[in-house]
Amino acid sequence: MYELRGIRKVFADGTVAVEDISLIVGSGEHVAFIGPSGAGKTTLFRLLNLTLRPTAGALIFEGQDVSALSDAGLRRTRTRIGTIYQQQNLVGRLRVVHNVLAGYLGRWSAATALASLVRPRDVAGAGRALAQVGIPEKLWARTDELSGGQQQRVAIARVLVQDPDVILADEPVSAVDPSLAVSIVTLLRDLSHESRKTLLMNLHSVDLALGHFPRIVGVREGRVLFDVAPDKVGPELLAELYAGHRDEELQLEQLRDGKVSFGAACRPLPGFRK
Amino acid sequence: MARGAVARPGRAAPLLVGVGFAALLAWSWHGTAVDLPGLFGGEGLRQVATYVVKLFPPDLSAGAWRDAATGAVETFAISLIGSLLAVCVGLPLSLLATRTLLYRGILFEARRPGPGARAVRVALYAAGKAVLNLLRTIPEIVWALIFVFMVGLGPFPGVLALGFHTGGVLGKLFGEVLEDVDPAPLEALQATGASRFAILVYGVLPQALPQFVSYALYRWEVNIRAAAMMGFVGAGGLGQRIHIAISLFQEHQLMTLILAIYAIVTLVDALSAFLRARLV
Repeated sequence: MYELRGIRKVFADGTVAVEDISLIVGSGEHVAFIGPSGAGKTTLFRLLNLTLRPTAGALIFEGQDVSALSDAGLRRTRTRIGTIYQQQNLVGRLRVVHNVLAGYLGRWSAATALASLVRPRDVAGAGRALAQVGIPEKLWARTDELSGGQQQRVAIARVLVQDPDVILADEPVSAVDPSLAVSIVTLLRDLSHESRKTLLMNLHSVDLALGHFPRIVGVREGRVLFDVAPDKVGPELLAELYAGHRDEELQLEQLRDGKVSFGAACRPLPGFRK
Repeated sequence: MARGAVARPGRAAPLLVGVGFAALLAWSWHGTAVDLPGLFGGEGLRQVATYVVKLFPPDLSAGAWRDAATGAVETFAISLIGSLLAVCVGLPLSLLATRTLLYRGILFEARRPGPGARAVRVALYAAGKAVLNLLRTIPEIVWALIFVFMVGLGPFPGVLALGFHTGGVLGKLFGEVLEDVDPAPLEALQATGASRFAILVYGVLPQALPQFVSYALYRWEVNIRAAAMMGFVGAGGLGQRIHIAISLFQEHQLMTLILAIYAIVTLVDALSAFLRARLV
């Protein structure tokens, strides 16, 4: 699906967000990315969904080097990659139905897109997607009147309507209630599993990552520190990953003591007593 | 955090700015020949009082009423159509005057326009800005003179004058709103493969619309006053009748017309406030 060779991203202000990342992700794989804040995970995802362009290195999607794509080719490729953001990135003033149907924008003509704002095109499809994420009654609500968790579900419904081959979820649960976090991660995992989509997820919570993903990539200072199965991720590795980041080290302490509220939903973590 | 550190501001800077501002005020006072004794002295006040007394009572005959009402309706129509024309002129130009829609920002991160294409886009932006500046810097009353010369006397040149000047004002304001919208939803729309047009319609305009409406309503309030003055150069409405009444020393009719202006300005302010509360 993805092949990254020596990807590097330097922003205009000189900040190096991604130092050097090489990675291969196969079709249908589920991969969780963990690491301290500022490690470059979000930038990596913005490179993967073709919103940003790498400063150096090759990004290959389905055998195609994306730097060689034309404007139209870039748009066509983006329709195959669905993104769920940490902040929901919805248009608050539009009704939920339009935010969900925005998943079609990559395929609709300009005229269809415009007409749908007046008379929504596939109301049934939007309704089905909302039913899948558990809020069918919110179809006609104004988006900014929904709670954070409901908005995150709308964002997932938009990706369902888009029906991509890959789902990128960038910290989809760090802005929602902890009790919702598990259900949203499980929802995304199951949905991707049923439709054989590739799922890449950035997670702040080590607990959720180790509990739900068969492959864990640790990112630190713009590089891949480890890329292993969850049972190989022990306390030493995590301590190295989060070294010098106070808040996350605290999270590890709590994991050790089994204090994290949603930890109960996961199997016991290797190296930690519950 | 050496890079993010901000130096403590010096003490001399505020003092310098203060002295500079005081000097500018003094110079302007001198330059505009402000003459307070002349304004409040006996002679000036007496002249005003004499004129005000002559205005009363307002002429409430059927003919004067009809004239004032016709003028008021005409002025209202000029302000309304003029403001709508201004939105039609300003909106397309504002899209050209928005850098984030043309060549920079999140929509151009993944594939930057080549040097040639970028030059064309920067030139489009500069042209849009230049046209808006031209429209805006020429006052309504000068536009009205130009259009009276082109299309003759009556309310039509008044409509064109308001449309052109206010179009320039609204275009600038709309452009600033467009550059200021939250880019996060735009990034998400772009990630679905949406075209720039779709991103504009689904992401940019819905965010900008409340401020567009608010600005347009405010300019309508400004335009009802401007429309009342436009008649002084022959562009219809109450102004034209006021100009005639002053020239012919018809003071009682002048008072009726002034009352009509007061009524119609109040009406538009109220309508605008009502619409703003409902729409924004």
